[in-house]
Amino acid sequence: MNKKDLMLILIIALISISIIIGYRIFEKEGTKKALVYYENDLVLNIDLSINQERVYYVDGYNGKVKIIADEGKIKVDSENSPLHLCSKQGYISKSYETIVCLPNKVIIKIDTQEDLDAIVK
Amino acid sequence: MKKFTRLSMLLSLAVVLNIIESVIPLFNGYIPGLKLGLANTVILFVLYIYSFKDALYVSILRVILVGILRTGIFSIAFSFSLGGAILSVIMMSLFKKLTKLSIIGISIIGSIFHSLGQIVVAIFLLENVNMFYYLPWLLLFSIPTGIIVGVISKELVNYFEKDLNFSH
Repeated sequence: MNKKDLMLILIIALISISIIIGYRIFEKEGTKKALVYYENDLVLNIDLSINQERVYYVDGYNGKVKIIADEGKIKVDSENSPLHLCSKQGYISKSYETIVCLPNKVIIKIDTQEDLDAIVK
Repeated sequence: MKKFTRLSMLLSLAVVLNIIESVIPLFNGYIPGLKLGLANTVILFVLYIYSFKDALYVSILRVILVGILRTGIFSIAFSFSLGGAILSVIMMSLFKKLTKLSIIGISIIGSIFHSLGQIVVAIFLLENVNMFYYLPWLLLFSIPTGIIVGVISKELVNYFEKDLNFSH
């Protein structure tokens, strides 16, 4: 390893850490909704402001995809795929996070709508 | 003819490494797309001992073979891998020519552009810009994985460079 390599490592570490910190700073506050897509079509629109665990089933490419929504967070509980990557991912809660189930062609995004109160303040 | 045989053996090695590492989970899938990139040792080796063209062929054929054996050749994951593999070889070769980075630095570059290529293809195919969210995490992890792959490749290249007949 030479000096140039160390420079490269330093630059990459700096860029990635500052982007991660940037995410934290610019996170939107407001009412959260989860949007579930199958093959780019919106199939479910779940309100995440309700404090209650709810279970949904979506038809994926390989069968049913079980989705669990709770207050401010959502996860894929079980699905049929070779590696089960999207059920291993666990809960997502931030507006920039996404769950992508490639084998099932299902995508879950979180949409945050800023509260009017927050804007007025 | 000797070169052709050796390249095909290296190709099969890359395919096997690719399949082996897909069974080793890193961080239990919490960051999608995170992998060690062991197959890149073979690609780096070909890039240093042979040429850019050979590395590109081996890389593309590797993706196609793994596609046939595991994921299916017309799956969306296949297009991700192909995008990542092609961009990574092109960038490794460019940085090798234009900068004074050692093989370890080039390995990190390969790892970075592999992630970047996959994400760019994902954004186009899934029409989901949110995929960029994982980029800084993948960038950060490309440092340790790139170093591991780079050190292995360095030893390999040093060992075989002494054997002057190898690249003919």
